[in-house]
Amino acid sequence: MKSKKKLIIYILIVAIIIAGIAVTIISGFNFDLKYQDAKRIELGIGKQVNEDEIRQIAKEVLGENTPIVLQKIEVFEDAVSIMAKDITEEQRDNIVSKVNEKYGIELTTDDVPIITVAHTRGRDIIKPYVIPFSTATLIILVYMMIRYYKQGSLKVLAKTLGFVVLMQAVLFSIMAITRIPIGRLTIPLVLTVYILTLIGCTSHFEKSLKNAEVVKNEE
Amino acid sequence: MEEKSKVKKEGKKLQILVCTLIAILIALIAIFGVYTKKQNRMENNIKGYDYAMDLKGTRIVTLTPSTETETIIKDQSGNEVEDAENLTDEELTEKGYTKEEKSKNSEDVLTQDNYTKTKEIIEKRLKGLNVENYIINVNNQTGEITIELPENDQTDNIVNNIATTGKFEIVDSETKELLMDNNDIKSSQVMYGSTSTGTAVYLDIKFNKSGTEKFENITETYVNNVSENTNATDTDAENQTNTTNEANQTDTENETNQTENETSDTNSTEENQTSEEETAKQITMSIDDEEMMTTYFEEVIKNGDMPLTIGSATKDQKTLNEYIQNASNIAVVLDNGKLPIEYNVTRNEYVLSDITRDELQYVKYGIIIAVAICLLILIFKYKTNGFLASLGYIILSAIYALIIRYTNVMISIEGIFGIALTLIINYIFIYKLLAKIKEYNKDEKLKGTVLKKAIKENYKEIFLKIIPICIMSIVFCFVSWVPISSFGMTTFWGILLIAIINILVTNNLLKLKNK
Repeated sequence: MKSKKKLIIYILIVAIIIAGIAVTIISGFNFDLKYQDAKRIELGIGKQVNEDEIRQIAKEVLGENTPIVLQKIEVFEDAVSIMAKDITEEQRDNIVSKVNEKYGIELTTDDVPIITVAHTRGRDIIKPYVIPFSTATLIILVYMMIRYYKQGSLKVLAKTLGFVVLMQAVLFSIMAITRIPIGRLTIPLVLTVYILTLIGCTSHFEKSLKNAEVVKNEE
Repeated sequence: MEEKSKVKKEGKKLQILVCTLIAILIALIAIFGVYTKKQNRMENNIKGYDYAMDLKGTRIVTLTPSTETETIIKDQSGNEVEDAENLTDEELTEKGYTKEEKSKNSEDVLTQDNYTKTKEIIEKRLKGLNVENYIINVNNQTGEITIELPENDQTDNIVNNIATTGKFEIVDSETKELLMDNNDIKSSQVMYGSTSTGTAVYLDIKFNKSGTEKFENITETYVNNVSENTNATDTDAENQTNTTNEANQTDTENETNQTENETSDTNSTEENQTSEEETAKQITMSIDDEEMMTTYFEEVIKNGDMPLTIGSATKDQKTLNEYIQNASNIAVVLDNGKLPIEYNVTRNEYVLSDITRDELQYVKYGIIIAVAICLLILIFKYKTNGFLASLGYIILSAIYALIIRYTNVMISIEGIFGIALTLIINYIFIYKLLAKIKEYNKDEKLKGTVLKKAIKENYKEIFLKIIPICIMSIVFCFVSWVPISSFGMTTFWGILLIAIINILVTNNLLKLKNK
């Protein structure tokens, strides 16, 4: 019964990873707007900006469900930047006229050029995390091999490393399949899975160690 | 006997009350702060949290390939004519010269390869300037490069350095013939030397193999063999160990020798030199077409080293720091090669995070509410023990909130996750401890040693499981990429507090009930 359950889990994991790889090859990961090719406009309002009002205007013009990034500019917070996947000239004009109306200002469309924002490459996003994670994993593996040497250092190494890699692969496959954007919550998610995997490994080895001791004592 | 027991019981109640009040006080300080009146307004005396780029804001710098043009004057045979800028149009026509507008970036340099190369050079410069926290992207169609940098005292200096082309040239001062350029540089570093008038800062440029040969030839050609030119007025340079290879020249402090970034050179020739000197062949060294110095050499230099004095010897620490900064900036630019394309800074502004302070407050209160609910569950399930453990939990959380403020931990989204992780681990710790106490209390044999045994076993069980997390947090503390170090530091302090506070506070609180 237990081995059947295990088998189902293994099949499920393999299926998720294969599906994830397929989705990644076909359509890649879904990146957060911040990392995508996008368009941006900046509105120099000259008065303290109410973010909610500007967001409302942007949503009215660009579409209620369009993801946008709204950021205040400079220390006086009297200018605002709106970033969206696409902003047409017509939409820009609409936003400008609505903002003019709301704040009683006279911005012209010439004052608000549409700026093309280039995407950030995936490898550039990952780069700062590679060395810290690799170093930490390496030291942890050495610790695990020493601590649980009675269970076979190489076996412990293979199990821990395999489990860590497998769980990360499952996470990224799920992200690819469900189109969860790669963005600011990705690293906390990676860390969560990483920590849970490590706790899972230590719990498993500690249990085995305890069982082995019990058996030894009984003998 | 009964009265003694009653007094003891009341004493315990009083102790619990005092502990409760202390816990509430520390929690209030951690959450709301301590306000005092300063210049007619209330000011919080408790340090605020330091937020990282993702929660605070960033300096966004956009570099765009220059579209500027420069006027060049050509003679009848189509050769470029130097020193003709001052001629009037009539004079130019008279001489048969023609004016042409030439783009600073020709069509053939505006390629994807060059955009990528520029990005790589900028990344190297940022690394040289010890900037690890940045986000950079390049538009492969337009060549526009956008960099997000943390906002601090150094940001303006960094922006200046990344936008600089970094064109290094040594030319004949008269004919303007190019003698050496960036391709001849191997490395450059900042050096110091003590003189009678203070500390002097040097930029030591080392040339590569071909550069060394070229430099040797130059020092042979541009060597000064006129004896009269040794009437140097400044003895500072003579005292420098690093300038022995260079010719004795006139005073560095002459302002005409100082460039905008206050770089000057002790070896510059000045107007007050003798007529014999004027006949000596000289070289001009420039960075980004800005003349750094014009000089000649006393002897042939074979080791490929060119030490340049930055500013003049000084005892003033502030001035010295400025010189060091200037020298370091030049070294970073020279070390990493020149940009293949000339760029202009078209955007340089501070943009606040799209996560507002209100949203951060929601997260803060969300965590507080979640913790409160969990503690209520604990109290409901384990009654007095649950209440006492909750007090310990509150004290730990409050001290934790204060510690991460005073240890200058930068809070990023990953840092918030680290805080949440600490709170979860501590909750699990306390929950398991209470469960063990309850279980051991059933065992008559353990009477009197329940708490000690429960604490000991709980520490062993929990900490053996989280040793990998401890290792990870320590490793992450040393990482310069803020999101990771933020997680590392919050987790490190959290785990340390769990280990200390639970033995010092929670353990003693539980003794009130379980001794």
